[in-house]
Amino acid sequence: MTSTEILTVTLLTARVSLVATAAILLPGVAVGFFLARARFRLLKPFLRTLVSLPMVLPPVAVGLLLLEALSLEAALGRAIEALAGGPVLLTWRAAAIAAAVMSFPLLVLGAEQGFASVPRRLEDVATTLGATRRRVFFRVTLPIASRGILYGLVFAFARGLGEFGATALVAGHIPGETETLSLAIYGRIREFRDADAAVFCAVSLLLAFATTFLAERFLKRERRP
Amino acid sequence: MNAFDLEAAFPGFSLDAAASWTATSAALFGASGSGKSTILEAMAGLRPEVSGTVTLRGRAVHGVPPRERRVGWVPQDAALFPHMTARENVAFAARSRGGDAGVARRAIEALEIGGVLDREAPALSGGERQRVAIARAVASGADVLLLDEPLAAIDRPLRGRILPFLARLPERLGVSMLVVSHDPVEVMALATHVVFLVEGRVAAEGDPRGVFESAAALSSLHALGAENVFDVSVVARGEGTTRLLTRNGCEIEMASVPSSPDPVRVALRSEDIVLAAGPPGLVSTQNVLPGAVESVELVGPQCLVTVRAGGEAFVAKVTARAARSLGLAPGKAVTLLVKAHAIVPST
Repeated sequence: MTSTEILTVTLLTARVSLVATAAILLPGVAVGFFLARARFRLLKPFLRTLVSLPMVLPPVAVGLLLLEALSLEAALGRAIEALAGGPVLLTWRAAAIAAAVMSFPLLVLGAEQGFASVPRRLEDVATTLGATRRRVFFRVTLPIASRGILYGLVFAFARGLGEFGATALVAGHIPGETETLSLAIYGRIREFRDADAAVFCAVSLLLAFATTFLAERFLKRERRP
Repeated sequence: MNAFDLEAAFPGFSLDAAASWTATSAALFGASGSGKSTILEAMAGLRPEVSGTVTLRGRAVHGVPPRERRVGWVPQDAALFPHMTARENVAFAARSRGGDAGVARRAIEALEIGGVLDREAPALSGGERQRVAIARAVASGADVLLLDEPLAAIDRPLRGRILPFLARLPERLGVSMLVVSHDPVEVMALATHVVFLVEGRVAAEGDPRGVFESAAALSSLHALGAENVFDVSVVARGEGTTRLLTRNGCEIEMASVPSSPDPVRVALRSEDIVLAAGPPGLVSTQNVLPGAVESVELVGPQCLVTVRAGGEAFVAKVTARAARSLGLAPGKAVTLLVKAHAIVPST
């Protein structure tokens, strides 16, 4: 196995996960805010359950549902293809969509916790000081919630790095095209190339460790005077 | 004129209170749970469940959203924005309403927080936080400051330094001030009008001394523990102390500095009075007054003991255990000890 091969798989994995995380940023924060603040008694648990489904469903089942949704027979599939300007299934884009769906609950969870941690009294104070709702949100609520949101983002990114089941179904296993780290490990094991699989495993470990360590290092750091 | 006429029903508590005043400095006074903070928040427009009317500086603000009421609400814990420095907290307020930078500057000077402006909010001490929060409220261009227990989180020595700041604020910054407090000494020092609340109702309203002496206020004041308020005249000024004569002819000594004005009214907390069963011997306390117990009233685990000394009635708070060990009962001869520093000017 060449170093180019390792680099290609690693960069593709990072690209897929980054695109997936970027794509879910706004909807994830919005849903997290809604769950933290909305007062709808029935809608909230329903929405929370819906959002959490990818975490509890078998990833392959999520992949199968995505496969149906992204096929050209489905309106969603046609719309996404039109938006992407080309085929989606069996491309890195499908891998990014699978990673986005699987990571979404983690971002929502982090954002919800972040918004729930903002004392309402601070927003009340900001309002009495004459701030508009928009100013209160962007200058008070969002900065205080940002730690929770960043946690959600980091873990969503890390989840995307390791996504396998759904990705395998919608993106296939095309070396150089859709082969992420998880698929590469699985493929090498099937071919009895355990040493190569161990190399990809080490790269995965390194990426996961680095991501989590950076989150711990920078997000848990208290502000000092 | 400022006024409120508010009603609300909560589980286990109902509010039905109305008051009005023209004084620039007023106070809502009462025990915990009497509805003080609820009224203050309703005046700020933050309690939609409370119905009624609020008038701020002659302007009826019923239905006016909080951001347009021009109030500076300072909650008990100051509620500074934790992700900002003190300077950013003040600037946030100044920019939110397009306020005058000069007002913010004057507030910073008046509250003496220039030295802490670049520190992050969580790094400030309790007193600094309160002063920054008040400066922030003033910088927003507020006409009325609503201060909820502004000194509650501050230790006694610092409280003594901040009290004069607060008392001067309305005059220096041209704002009205409504302070929530359960401390009569604070009320006397800060307000010229007090609304006395008992269980969501206005029990008395008016000049603080008159209110605190009224029968309606007396029982609650006993529980709150600071009804030693004396009208005084200065007899002599000494080195760091001033000798005073109360209206009923009792001489007491208070700590003072040469530049301090002559007090006309002083206050003394009941818990700052020490009772001794006999002559105490040599002590550093400036006020050692022989007297006799007039009454002993048990209030929870505490006893309020009224002692007649030098023609004046003093109320001391001691533990029930101390009262038992001293054998306190009406007629019992005791010596009353009060540090000169415990006597403070109240207006």
